[in-house]
Amino acid sequence: MANEKKYWQGLAHLNNDPSFVAKQQNEFAEYVPVEEFIGDKAIVENASTNRRDFLKFLGFSAAAATLAACEAPVTKAVPYINRPEEITPGVANWYASTFFDGYDYASVIVKTREGRPIKLEGNNLSKVTMGGTNARVQASILGLYDSNRITTPLMKGVSKTWEEADKAIGAGLQQAKGIAIVSSTIISPSSKQALSEFMGKYPKTRHVQVDAVSYSGMLQANLSTFGKAMIPTYRFDKADVIVSLGCDFLGNWVSPIEHAKQYGISRKVSAEKKEMSKHFQFESMLSMTGANADERYPTKASQLGQVALGLLNAVGGGGSASSVLKKEIDAVAAALKAAKGKALVVAGSNDAAMQVVVNEINKSIGAYGTTIDTNIQDLTHQGDDFAMKKLVDDLNAGTVDTLIFWNTNPVYTAPKALGFVAAMAKASLKVSFATHRDETAMKCDWVCPDHNWLESWNDHNPRTSQYSLQQPTIRPLFKTRQAQESLLAWSGNTTSFRTYIQKYWQNNFLGRQGMYGDFTQFWNHSVQDGVATLVNIPAAPIVVEDHNFALPNDSVPPPAAVIAAPTTEAIPFTGKAISLGEASSQLSAAKGGKFELVIYQKVAMGNGSQANNPWLQEMPDPITKITWDNYVTMHPLDAKDLQLFGMTQEGGKDVMVRFDQMENELDMVEVKANGHSVKLPVWVQPGQVRGTIGIALGYGRNETFGKTSNGVGQNIAPATGMSASGNISYDIFDVAVTKAEGTHLIATTQQHHTMMSRNEDILRETTLTAYQKDERAGNKINDMHTYKGQQHVEQVTLWNDFERPNHSWALAIDLNSCIGCGNCVVSCNVENNVHVVGKDEVRRSREMHWIRIDRYYSSDTVKEEAEEKGELGKMSMYRMMENPAFDNPKVAFQPVMCQHCNHAPCETVCPVLATNHSSEGLNQMTYNRCVGTRYCANNCPYKVRRFNWFNYVEYHRAEGENLNPAADTLGRMVLNPDVTVRARGVMEKCSMCVQRIQGGKLEAKKRGDRPKDGEIQTACSQSCPTNAIMFGDLNDPNSEVSMLEKSGRKFEMLEVVGAKPSVFYLTKVWNREDEKAHI
Amino acid sequence: MNSLWQNARNFRFVVLLPLVLSLLCTLNLRAQDGKALFKVNCASCHYASSKKGTGPGLLGVLDRIPAGDWKYKWVKNSTALIASGDAYANKIFLENNKSVMNTFPALSEKEIDAILAYATTGPDEKKAGPAVVAGPGAAGTDVTLNEGQGSIGTTALAIIILVIIIILIAVLRYAKINLRNAVHSNEGTPEEPGLPFIESAKVWINNNKKIVLVIGLFLMGVLVVKGWYSLKGIGVYAHEVKPGKWVGYKPEQPINFSHKIHAGENGIDCQYCHSTVEKSKTASIPSANVCMNCHRVIDQTANEGSKEEIAKIYYAVGWNPDSAKYTGITHPIKWNKVHVLPDHVFFSHQQHVKVGKQECETCHGNLKAMTVAEQQRPLTMGWCIDCHRNTQIDMKEDEKGNYAGNGYYASLHEKMKEKYGKGAKITVAQAGGIECARCHY
Repeated sequence: MANEKKYWQGLAHLNNDPSFVAKQQNEFAEYVPVEEFIGDKAIVENASTNRRDFLKFLGFSAAAATLAACEAPVTKAVPYINRPEEITPGVANWYASTFFDGYDYASVIVKTREGRPIKLEGNNLSKVTMGGTNARVQASILGLYDSNRITTPLMKGVSKTWEEADKAIGAGLQQAKGIAIVSSTIISPSSKQALSEFMGKYPKTRHVQVDAVSYSGMLQANLSTFGKAMIPTYRFDKADVIVSLGCDFLGNWVSPIEHAKQYGISRKVSAEKKEMSKHFQFESMLSMTGANADERYPTKASQLGQVALGLLNAVGGGGSASSVLKKEIDAVAAALKAAKGKALVVAGSNDAAMQVVVNEINKSIGAYGTTIDTNIQDLTHQGDDFAMKKLVDDLNAGTVDTLIFWNTNPVYTAPKALGFVAAMAKASLKVSFATHRDETAMKCDWVCPDHNWLESWNDHNPRTSQYSLQQPTIRPLFKTRQAQESLLAWSGNTTSFRTYIQKYWQNNFLGRQGMYGDFTQFWNHSVQDGVATLVNIPAAPIVVEDHNFALPNDSVPPPAAVIAAPTTEAIPFTGKAISLGEASSQLSAAKGGKFELVIYQKVAMGNGSQANNPWLQEMPDPITKITWDNYVTMHPLDAKDLQLFGMTQEGGKDVMVRFDQMENELDMVEVKANGHSVKLPVWVQPGQVRGTIGIALGYGRNETFGKTSNGVGQNIAPATGMSASGNISYDIFDVAVTKAEGTHLIATTQQHHTMMSRNEDILRETTLTAYQKDERAGNKINDMHTYKGQQHVEQVTLWNDFERPNHSWALAIDLNSCIGCGNCVVSCNVENNVHVVGKDEVRRSREMHWIRIDRYYSSDTVKEEAEEKGELGKMSMYRMMENPAFDNPKVAFQPVMCQHCNHAPCETVCPVLATNHSSEGLNQMTYNRCVGTRYCANNCPYKVRRFNWFNYVEYHRAEGENLNPAADTLGRMVLNPDVTVRARGVMEKCSMCVQRIQGGKLEAKKRGDRPKDGEIQTACSQSCPTNAIMFGDLNDPNSEVSMLEKSGRKFEMLEVVGAKPSVFYLTKVWNREDEKAHI
Repeated sequence: MNSLWQNARNFRFVVLLPLVLSLLCTLNLRAQDGKALFKVNCASCHYASSKKGTGPGLLGVLDRIPAGDWKYKWVKNSTALIASGDAYANKIFLENNKSVMNTFPALSEKEIDAILAYATTGPDEKKAGPAVVAGPGAAGTDVTLNEGQGSIGTTALAIIILVIIIILIAVLRYAKINLRNAVHSNEGTPEEPGLPFIESAKVWINNNKKIVLVIGLFLMGVLVVKGWYSLKGIGVYAHEVKPGKWVGYKPEQPINFSHKIHAGENGIDCQYCHSTVEKSKTASIPSANVCMNCHRVIDQTANEGSKEEIAKIYYAVGWNPDSAKYTGITHPIKWNKVHVLPDHVFFSHQQHVKVGKQECETCHGNLKAMTVAEQQRPLTMGWCIDCHRNTQIDMKEDEKGNYAGNGYYASLHEKMKEKYGKGAKITVAQAGGIECARCHY
């Protein structure tokens, strides 16, 4: 036992906090306050409702319900007057389209039913996102049915017609002294054309691109290194060694969907491929990417620059050696040098100095041309911090007096130090294309609401030679107008934007492809595929001069796309290049204060533009598992120093009085940075570097933005600063943190649905070296002593096996490639009409997610040692906490859905046979038969069953009213008509997307054929960007899952229970040297 | 006491009334053969009036045409008659824009006589016919009428039984009182002052509270249940709705569309209108443009009220029959669903019709005979399961004994054969067809 790793779900678990112990015993965490209510005499006696009244009410409501139910049950059916040819009622249509909100790009296919878009899936034809999506893209479908959207043009909040708006704005534009169109990154060639047409009509116009999360530093750095402002594309799949300097490339950096896809490829191991990449991460807060790293080195944000310089020195790029983390840097540098040409270093910072140094490192390790492609460039981040600074100056000087905001919200996102709000007030005409009453729109004279992306035509050029089209899948729901059409209308062009794009493509793109001679053909195919690859006009390629290193094989021709970018794809950038020397001195000058702040983005919330999306708000953060909030992540000892959670010094001894994150009533701190101050709750986060804190962007939206986002979290964006190079900085090296009054209740799913500490059978890990020696490494065989001798647990059973003559559906989950991104959670919510319950109910452990991603921390057994020494909860234990093994827990993610046990414990206890077994290996849940005893949930060893405590369709509570899409008249249009919307009092759980299975089977039957492997996909397996979840038929010997089932890495969760699940896992393999393989 | 008898005598009238009514309904008001034949064969082109359809109106046709065998020759093969150079045949051929009349070689002379006898008299014949008997609520159709009166019969039976019981009680009570009085007079005891009936009933009620309570509760229960189902029947023709079963559910529709005329008499294939039955889970109620494929031309038929009903389609699709143009103003038709499954049931038509090769009749009954669509099968879960338990799987085999059916089932059927033996009856249920998640998810 002592050698075994200890897994813990949170600090309360690790500390064996009394409340955690109590909760752990109480496996069914829901708390019903009935007894308390009845037991409280004062309440009962003082209540104005006495027993007789109660009976009267009861009688009345029974009578009323009877009367109300007396309506004749006539169901209406209203067929089309003229059924559109392409629509077959009951059959989904799929249309290719593109999601781009200035932050995430994804080429998608949109599922529509009877004309309603209801689900998104990745477009496999896209060479950019390769069929991937992330949680934000998956959830964006609900944005269409957001009842907080602006429905008509508004003048100072008053509804107007488009004619009135056009007249007033047209007059304003004529008188303008200078116009600035402030937009997020525009990657649409046709939109740029429309912009230039507008500029032709109003020559005093400038276009300023500003991203909610700036990549201006990277543009500047590449301008410095290569003479061209651009962001290259990264190939994580080609890298054997990945080094990340505070870069959350799997969740939020540049092109996270693509990176996750690539990373998944590089992390998968199999009998054929027993190699995987090694991932090093230097970071100050535990990010999702850091959690996946093989080696994670906690580093203060202010020291990352020195680490970069040290690394440059260690790989032979000159400069001086680092004074911090010397040992670690040497280890990383050795790995990088050994993997020359197959290594990659990335940094998340927006500081140009940092990126310049990283560029030099990448040159030294031969990354350019192998793992980084400078000729295929990423165009999705073109925001220019310098242009924004200039705009503020010009506004103040009065040379610009008219502002048009397009998909951007600087009042919310700009640093306070920039002084944008004050400068904006000086403009005489302010127009916004906002879809919501956001912070900037509220300060504008006119709001000319844009369509939702699912209602509009557009084209996109996310990277060199890759184009994609966005086509509407529904008619506009409101009296909105596409922003491009507004711009065109104001410049006197009344063409519809669809025709405009078509014309643009005909004139500019027809000649750049070799497939179709006829434009109609070319256009139709492009719309159908959603994507098009166009040959670029040849331009001089970027030649990377190597420092000390030649490409491994010079005879290898450069990648085909070295034809390079044409001028149309050039990014306008106004910053100046900086030299390596400048960069180095800026980095070495960085000094940290008492506290450093890292402003990060969550996987769910991103930049906050989708803050009104309840699916994203309720999605637990991969690391903290907190929903519905942002907070300050902090090291335990910092929390103690601030005397939070009742941790004080008494009589010279450290006493932990209260450390009960279990109840999640968190103490507050006030954080002051760059003239902005916020009061937020403190979340004590393992893995956080001492002296650093982290706060997520995207929260604290204004009241008018939306009912869902209202009152959730605080906005930290104004606290962003300016780095020495002149770009917005998200790492602030000196902030003031003080204890604040009050506490804040937080909703975390971290300890919900606990598994009774049966850890050794839940998660199995090994190291690559052990795996290479033995496929079964880390995967112990569970044998039992029986009268027949030693037998495997599978064979010891009381029950007969179910026959599975036709199909035997199964899910295989590769823990090695699961990055914990939560895309499956949102995808499942959308597909299966999973209710959103709101923060209050999540606090009661009543979240309804059918799939959860368990996050386990593990560490060496510090806690047990302390217990042996009798130092539990004492200062000495906290000193032990300071050692890296403790400060730096290893993290593992494990997606858990219903395991579809073939000997299911839930089935045997259901008194009404509402849950039973199918002949295809599914554990079926029949809602209309369920009477809600909840015996099944009590008997489930995996805690995957969810109970409908309320009729969430009509459930309104003062706090967070109407959050559930199914409860909103508009929102419920997103519901999947093939899945029942569950009512109060029934149990529900993952059905393995039985509606998709049945649909897929039917298609095969109609063909007269067996379903092909991969033809049927569950929502989670389909959307998994790293292909960690695989679905298939075990009765098909050639299916992927059948192959994996034979693998030595296969294990079943809680195998000893003997439930024989249809879901199985593959052991997690770490590319670590020092780990003791625990077999 | 006399008053009671008096009342009872009045009841005789009440008893007799339903009896007379039910007698009436046994009269079989069968339509004449000629009408039926006309509807099947002729009505798509001819009206039984002076109105011109594709062909001429047939009112008084017998007076116009040449006497003798001409009519038989024309109907059986008009083209041949025209080709033979017959003067009148060529005349009407030209009058009707040279549109060729279908040939009906199968019709016997007797049948042709019946058709013409019906057609030549026109709608007058109908006025004298069955329409007189039609009661309220019945839209002049035989089927509905019969059923409506059938239900009156049951009620009458209940009333008769009730009346008999009341009479029995009254007689017994009268006898009892008389006997008691006789005893009293025999014994010389003073006769008890006879309480008025109501007073005595009050006394009895007071002495038998429990019985009254039980009867009261029972009556209340009956009232509630009856009331409940009568409410459910609002807007429905025949209220034979039994608890949990909707057999006989036959809602009024916004348009009096008759499956009997379209699918039955005119033989239009079900899938012509319900075109998605093999492509989708729903068979789909046809969109109004499908109606217009035919009704653009057919603006009325020989059936009474057809013009008004077809005009409703025109209103819905926005068709102006006078200018023969679409106006663009549409009004979607709100049909009342007849076969309604609860939301928690997933039923797929394509599975049953395309893969399972089921006939529409299996679940929908003989719609070809229904003037108003009616639910004829219970569509309960028990009924579904019964069918799945009894329906045998098609284990089609070729000469060599290999499975020759749908390739999807090949491996499954091999396994089933192994398990149950060759030639054994294997049902849908045995192949997993009654598992919950086949229909509920």
